[in-house]
Amino acid sequence: MSALTALARLRAVREGRAQPAATVRHCHIAEAPMVFIPLRMAGEAAAPLAAMIGTDPGSPRLLVVPQPRDRDLRFAFAAELAEVLLPYVEGFAKETETATRRGAEPYERCLSAPQVLVPNGQAAAFTGLLGRSTRFRRAEGPYPVHPSVPVLGRWLTFFAERAAYPGSSLLVSATDALALHWTSGQSGLEDANLAALLGWIDPPPGLTGLRAAQEAEDPLLWPPAGPATDPGFDNEVLAPAIEGYTRAPTARAVERVREAVRTQLEPTWRLVWRAAELLRGLPAGASVTRRWEYDRGAFTEFLGRVAEGGPPQARRDGAVAAASRLARMERARVSFDVQRAYDDPLIMAEYRLTGEAFAGEVIAADPEHTEGEGRSRKLRPLVTIRTVDPVRLAAGTAVGTPDRRGQEAELVATDGGEITLKITKGMGRGKTPSPGAVPAVGERVCYTSLTDDFQASASLPDPDLTPWTHGGPPEEWVPDDADAAEHWE
Amino acid sequence: MATDRLDALRGPVPPRPHDARAIAALAANPGCARRAVLDAAGIDKDSTARHLGFPAPFGQSRFAITRGDVFEAQVKANGCAGLLRLLREVLGLPIPLVAYHDAADVGAHLRHAHTRALIDRAARDSDDAGTFYDHPLLSLEIAGHTSYLEPDVVAFRLGGRFHIVEIKSFAVIDGQAEPAKVAAAARQAAVYVLALRRLVEELGHDPGRVSHEVILVCPENFANRPVATLVDVRRQLAVLRRQLARMTGVGDLVSGLPSGLTFDLAADADGVPTRPVAELAEAIGTVAARYAPECRSTCDMCLFCRDEARDEGSTDLLGRHVRDELGGVAGVDEALALAEGTRGPADGQEEIARLLRLADRLRAESLEPAR
Amino acid sequence: MAFTLMLEIRGTQGRHAEAPATLPAVSDPLDALERRIGELRGEVRRAVKARQSTLARSLRGELRKAELAWDDAVSAEHGDAPEPAGTPSLLPVREQVHQALALLGVPTAARLVVAVHEAFFAGGLSAGRLTSLRRDEERSFRTAPFSRPYYLCAALTDRLSPARGLLAVSTWPLEQRIVGPLSHRVDFLVSASRIAEHLGRLTRAGEDAPPGALRLLSRMAQNIPGAVERFGGAEPQTVIRAAAAELTVHLEADTAGRAGTAERAARQLGDVEQLFGAATLSHAQRGA
Repeated sequence: MSALTALARLRAVREGRAQPAATVRHCHIAEAPMVFIPLRMAGEAAAPLAAMIGTDPGSPRLLVVPQPRDRDLRFAFAAELAEVLLPYVEGFAKETETATRRGAEPYERCLSAPQVLVPNGQAAAFTGLLGRSTRFRRAEGPYPVHPSVPVLGRWLTFFAERAAYPGSSLLVSATDALALHWTSGQSGLEDANLAALLGWIDPPPGLTGLRAAQEAEDPLLWPPAGPATDPGFDNEVLAPAIEGYTRAPTARAVERVREAVRTQLEPTWRLVWRAAELLRGLPAGASVTRRWEYDRGAFTEFLGRVAEGGPPQARRDGAVAAASRLARMERARVSFDVQRAYDDPLIMAEYRLTGEAFAGEVIAADPEHTEGEGRSRKLRPLVTIRTVDPVRLAAGTAVGTPDRRGQEAELVATDGGEITLKITKGMGRGKTPSPGAVPAVGERVCYTSLTDDFQASASLPDPDLTPWTHGGPPEEWVPDDADAAEHWE
Repeated sequence: MATDRLDALRGPVPPRPHDARAIAALAANPGCARRAVLDAAGIDKDSTARHLGFPAPFGQSRFAITRGDVFEAQVKANGCAGLLRLLREVLGLPIPLVAYHDAADVGAHLRHAHTRALIDRAARDSDDAGTFYDHPLLSLEIAGHTSYLEPDVVAFRLGGRFHIVEIKSFAVIDGQAEPAKVAAAARQAAVYVLALRRLVEELGHDPGRVSHEVILVCPENFANRPVATLVDVRRQLAVLRRQLARMTGVGDLVSGLPSGLTFDLAADADGVPTRPVAELAEAIGTVAARYAPECRSTCDMCLFCRDEARDEGSTDLLGRHVRDELGGVAGVDEALALAEGTRGPADGQEEIARLLRLADRLRAESLEPAR
Repeated sequence: MAFTLMLEIRGTQGRHAEAPATLPAVSDPLDALERRIGELRGEVRRAVKARQSTLARSLRGELRKAELAWDDAVSAEHGDAPEPAGTPSLLPVREQVHQALALLGVPTAARLVVAVHEAFFAGGLSAGRLTSLRRDEERSFRTAPFSRPYYLCAALTDRLSPARGLLAVSTWPLEQRIVGPLSHRVDFLVSASRIAEHLGRLTRAGEDAPPGALRLLSRMAQNIPGAVERFGGAEPQTVIRAAAAELTVHLEADTAGRAGTAERAARQLGDVEQLFGAATLSHAQRGA
């Protein structure tokens, strides 16, 4: 939250419509993502009630647990979910490319990867819980389940863990993704309601965003996007239908529960697809492809691990694993923030506001300026920029620019609104700079101290040091019978 | 005096008693005078909000209620056998300590007195003391009115101290539970700890004998098997004490209100409110609210106050983060006017005005190429 | 384009619920019923939200009718008939409860009575049917004392009041029906032993142990130290041994307490009160 986003919210209130929070798209949106809308039985930690799932907006598949307290029915649901999700996921294994990177063996990477789209953050968390409750199961032994169930559990866990990874698009929550690109005229808490947030972003004709968001809060018009259901629906519609099934588990009792949950899922189904479409309507940011490449790498690694029959993910990280995971997440967070700023002037504006970046016009340039004498004589072009931004950068600070990626410069002097830089890298190796490498007088440029090793960390890590988010566990976890027999009541 | 005024505000109906959840919620928005006055007067906020046309967006699924009841019954079954196992395993309770007392073994009207007697006996005479006190009924004075509170169980004899046991049906999965739910449980348990401390003190014992560590019992992972965790509620206790002290000072708030002001719903013989809605809304509007989006999970009046904040064009609507960023500028229009330069900063607003002007320019510049 | 299509759907969503009458008429009776059901559900929820309970009740009535009509219509279409629910036991409720209590031999809460009946007998008892049992028995006893071979009666607290939620049998000795502070634990251990013993008898007689009974025993054994391996099922002999071990810790004090209270009850209470407990007011003082 900054004065910029605060201002955007104020303006959204006045205009009655969400305001842009980004000028480009910062997440990958697949051609045909797998939309997954799970519902949970109220009062239970991980009892699935239903799910709507599919890659075609016109033909969703509806999975239902007519009595969510029945353990066998829950595992039947998990097997059915596996039937939909696993072929989709495994389909991406077919086409691969050979990826290379400096100082490491070339390796095979899938050309594309699955993308699961859920309505909100709670649905992403619930995906993780479903994974947790299924990945330790076994197909044989005292409590056998369908062989696909533990595999499903590993994948759901994988997706949920990637969702926590900044910049990953393997599992995308619609509300989070929308809020990254639009600022509504309501509070962040209220933005968690998908229908309300979309009401602000894309109100139906004739309605203001506020009005649409207000309508969206009525659970009779817009059922909650889950996983929690509307208590009124539970009490008046679902409970009698489930009781009916418990009394007589006939086909038509199942049908009644199905029809009941369908009414709750269908509106959200359309909203999630609409969210995908709105996001797709934005041009992709320059770093989206690279981050998706990273996702594809993570997916390929995990695919290999599942194919080798590796053990399910541990219940909890050990101390070392947890610390290194945290460090990785922090690095990814920084890297994601920097990439977005470089890709998007509206994000960069946040750093101009705090003085970590500035934009302005070049008023003087000395492209052939050199430093040192004789053999140590180096080309160091000088550029002076006039800006009205409140720059808070000291002389000697290393800066970069989104206009010429890979170029490095150093701040030489600031004199009121005039800032002089010398370019230290990325202007060519000759005695004179390569054409276009030094901004010309009159050009509008932007420089920022945000240069941290984002280029380095965006490339793939050494396979020997593969983080477990990419499938390489530091220590093998051997689940025992107790894990497989764990109750799911 | 203050009590008379509060009674007048409420009208000729009995004050609405607070349960622990409601008392815990008092601490959620300490700056809200409206809530402080309505609660101190024991006004039925739920009916008031409903009559105003803004029913609270709460509701509980019967599945959740059933699940909660079933889990609690399971933990307490057979003289708290399940709880006993947890206390033995987790807290090392010695095997001979199993005595179970049910404070509800007397008529309902005697339950509070019986609880007092049982707690007194326990605090006095350790040999005869029980280990579990089931269905205790405690009380807490809130701004002159007594609220009765029902903790799940009081456990005694863990190191000579009383512990509040709070049974909740949300799951602890691999040692972790939803932080918001744990926090809510801790706030609620702190209310019981405070009530029990007051009781122990009244009986002439050291209130420190009531532990600030409550025993939270939840189902573990995906099974119904309970697991116990000790939760330190000192911070919640401090907040609660402070807020209750404030409520006693509600007299200052009330004395400033116009005489003759009442929030009476003027219910007819069937209990249907007849008070003209506009009139009631105006009366409520006399006491300033401090709306925040968080109110939506704790206060029955939230949607009424939100609507009011919207009409006033208040920046409260957008959440505390936004408000903080705006350096306390309270109005949407005012903040926009400062940003767009159509209005000069008042004294003390220079800094925020400068920041907003800058933000406005940066947004405009950044969006230009996209247009 | 899909873009505008989505807008269309979004835009009309709210209208469906608000103005269903504007929709074109559909000839299929199932469709019509479904729409009617949808409308009624909405109205019920609105009424509930507005706390209009009378309206909500009548709407619910209509809703059930519509749902039944839909059930009939859809089964006429698919030709499947409902299956009957589980067959109820032929014994009266009081005799079923007595069966379970006789097995357990100690004052027991309705839940466990139901669970034991489910595990060893016909099952089909619901806790709800037990709530008024004690009151009915008391009424019957007051009308014609000792005219039945047994009554389902109360357990007495050390204040001689009826203990909440516990059921006992009138033919048991008075001290067996007393619950002091330690008795809850003692009785729990005794019940677990009795269930284990009964299971042992069944298997020795060559019958299969009912799986429900094993589950019940395992659940109880979880709460007895040394009675069960962490993830294994319970073994009856182990449960009996473990329960006996803990019983030795509590039994003496509990028995003495019960005997004292029973003696007091016999001295102070009349027949009805001995079975169903004294009113709390008159005997509120302990040891009075």
